[in-house]
Amino acid sequence: MSTVLEQIEQEIAKLSAKAVRKNTGTIRTVADGVAKIDGLSDVMYNEMVQFPGGAIGIALNLEEDEVGCVILGDVSKLKEGDEVTTTGRLLSVPVGKALLGRAVDALGRPVDGKGPIDAKEFNPVEKIAPGIIVRKSVSQPVLTGIMAIDSMIPIGRGQRELIIGDRSTGKTTIAIDTIINQAKINKVGFASGDPKFRPMYSIYVAVGQKNSNIARTIAALEAAGALEYTIIVAAPAADNPANQYIAPYSGAAMGEWFMDNNMDALIVYDDLSKHAVAYRQISLILKRPSGREAYPGDVFYLHSRLLERAARLDGKGSLTALPIIETLAGDVSAYIPTNVISITDGQIFLETDLFNQGIRPAVSVGLSVSRVGSAAQLKATKQVAGKLKGELAQFRELAAFSQFGSDLDAKTKAQLDRGSRIVELFKQPAFNPIPIELQVVTLWAMQKGYYEGLPLAKVMAAAKSLREFFSTRQDALLTTIRTKAALDAEIETGLKSACDAWKATFAA
Amino acid sequence: MSATSKIAGQLARKFYKLSLVDGVVSPERVAGVLEYVAAHRPANPVMVLRAYHRLIAAELARCAAVVEHAGPISDAILQGIAAALTAKYKRPVNAVAKPNPALLAGLRVHLGDDVFEASAAGQLRALAESVQ
Repeated sequence: MSTVLEQIEQEIAKLSAKAVRKNTGTIRTVADGVAKIDGLSDVMYNEMVQFPGGAIGIALNLEEDEVGCVILGDVSKLKEGDEVTTTGRLLSVPVGKALLGRAVDALGRPVDGKGPIDAKEFNPVEKIAPGIIVRKSVSQPVLTGIMAIDSMIPIGRGQRELIIGDRSTGKTTIAIDTIINQAKINKVGFASGDPKFRPMYSIYVAVGQKNSNIARTIAALEAAGALEYTIIVAAPAADNPANQYIAPYSGAAMGEWFMDNNMDALIVYDDLSKHAVAYRQISLILKRPSGREAYPGDVFYLHSRLLERAARLDGKGSLTALPIIETLAGDVSAYIPTNVISITDGQIFLETDLFNQGIRPAVSVGLSVSRVGSAAQLKATKQVAGKLKGELAQFRELAAFSQFGSDLDAKTKAQLDRGSRIVELFKQPAFNPIPIELQVVTLWAMQKGYYEGLPLAKVMAAAKSLREFFSTRQDALLTTIRTKAALDAEIETGLKSACDAWKATFAA
Repeated sequence: MSATSKIAGQLARKFYKLSLVDGVVSPERVAGVLEYVAAHRPANPVMVLRAYHRLIAAELARCAAVVEHAGPISDAILQGIAAALTAKYKRPVNAVAKPNPALLAGLRVHLGDDVFEASAAGQLRALAESVQ
C-alpha cells in the first residue's frame, strides 16, 4: 500500500500548471483491425498512437489525407469520431529476466494468469539490426540434443537456422527439443559452478497457432523443467493480425536484451509463414499494392529485418534464431520459403516421406545444410561425426541403385548395411534430447563397429542401452568428455573398455 | 481506396487549393467552386464535395482555436491565446470560447490537430493513467 501511495505522490509532484500539447486525430473508419484517421498531422511512421479505451495502434500508412493505423487490442469499443492521440514513442515491450517462465502476448502483457510482470526495462519492438563491425564470427555451438542435427547440421550461437517442412513433420518438436536441451545444459552448468559457463535462455514465439497447441507446448516445457529458462510470446490464431504481425519483433526485442547484456539467447519463430499471411492481411486492408501471391512488395524486408537482429556481438552476447516455415507439398521453391532460405544461414529440411517411413526426426540430410558448419561444432563431435554426411550421401545413392539389381558385391552390401545402421541410429523420440557427451559415445561406438552384427531393428535399442550404461556407470568418463570437448588417447581407451563391458552385457 | 474515390479525392484537393488565398480560405473562392460543380457536374459529385468539405473544414479548424473553459473567461484572455497561437503557428488564428464544466478548472484549447491541455480534469486523467 505504501508503494502505491509513493507512486501517487510522485505523480502529483510531476503535475504542473503548464499546458501539455497533444497531436490528435479523429477516427473516420474502423474495419478489420485497421483504423483510418483524419488529422494526426505530426504522427511519424511506426509511431504508437493511443485510442480511447486503452487500445493502442501503430501508424503504418501516412497518406495525404488520412493515417492508416493497425490496432493492437480490443477494437469492439472504437467508433467513428473517437479521438486518437500520438504518444511520441515507438512501441516498446518489457524485457529482462522477469519474463522468464512467463507467457505474454505480443505487447508483453502476461496471459498466463500468474500476476503482473515486474519488468524494469522496456525495449523498442522495431530496432535496426547490429552493423557489420560489432559482429563476431559464430564459433560456439548450440546443442539441440538431436543427434542428426548436432552431428551433421551443427548450429552455432548467433546463427539463423531455418527449420522447414510440410505440416506435421516435426518442425516444432525440433525447436522444443532444442529449448529443453538448453535448459538441461543450463542446470548442469549452474550446478558445476564453472565461472566461464554461459547459459542459454530461450524465447518461443507462437504466431497464428491454435491455443491448444500453445498450451501443449507450454506443458511440455514445464514437464521437462525448461519453462523457467523460457519466455513464451503468444499471438494465437484468435488474435488480430496486427498482434500476429508484431509478436516476432516483440520476441526479438526480448532476445536482444539478453544479447546486449552479455548473455546468450535462442529465439524460435513458429512460424513465419503465418506471420507473412498476417502481414499480407494487414497490407491488403491498408490498400497497399500487392505483388506475387498477393503479398505486399516488402514481404522480404518483413523477415530480413527480423532475422538480421539475430547475431553474435563482439564483447557482448548472442541471439540465435530458429525460424520455422511451413511448406505446401514439399515445395521449397515457393515465394516465402525461398525468401527466408536466402536470409538464413542454413536450413533443416524435414520430409513427409521420411516421417511416414518412421525416420523421426525426418531430417533430409541431403537438402539440409548449416552454412556455419563445423566452426560451431565441438572437436569431439567433429572427430566422430566428420564423415557421416558423406557416408549417408553414398548410402542414399547406392540404395536407389540397389532397387534395380539383386547381385551386389560385398563392398556395396557393407556400405548399404552401414548406411542403414546410421539411419537407425539417428532415430530419436520426441522431447528426449541427448546430451552431447552421450551423442559422442553413441557415434564413437558406431565408428568402431559395436553395432555390427546386430539385427537392424535392434540398433536403436542397442544405442539406448549403451547410453543408459554410460549414464549409470561411466559418469566420470562422460564428465571428462563434456569438459575436455575432445577425444584424446586416454578418453578413447576409457571408451573402448566401457563399450566392451557394455557389449558383454547387452543381449540383442 | 477505389480508383473512383481516388480520382474524386484528387479533384477535391485541386478545388481546395484553388479556394485558398494567401493560405486562408476565401469564401468567394469557395462559392466559385460550388458554382462550378453545380454547373459542370463532374463524375461522382457527391464524393467530390464530401472530400472538399473535409479539406475545407480541416483548414478552417487550423485557423479557429476552440477554447474550452470551466469557469469565466475574459475577452482579454481569448485575445491573448489567439495572439500566442498566431505567433506560434505563423498564421492568423481566432479564438472562440466554449464552456465545458466537465473540465473542473483550467482550459483546453483545440486548434486543428493540436490539443493544449491545461485543465484539472485532464491532469487528473493523466494521473490516473500513470498510476495504472
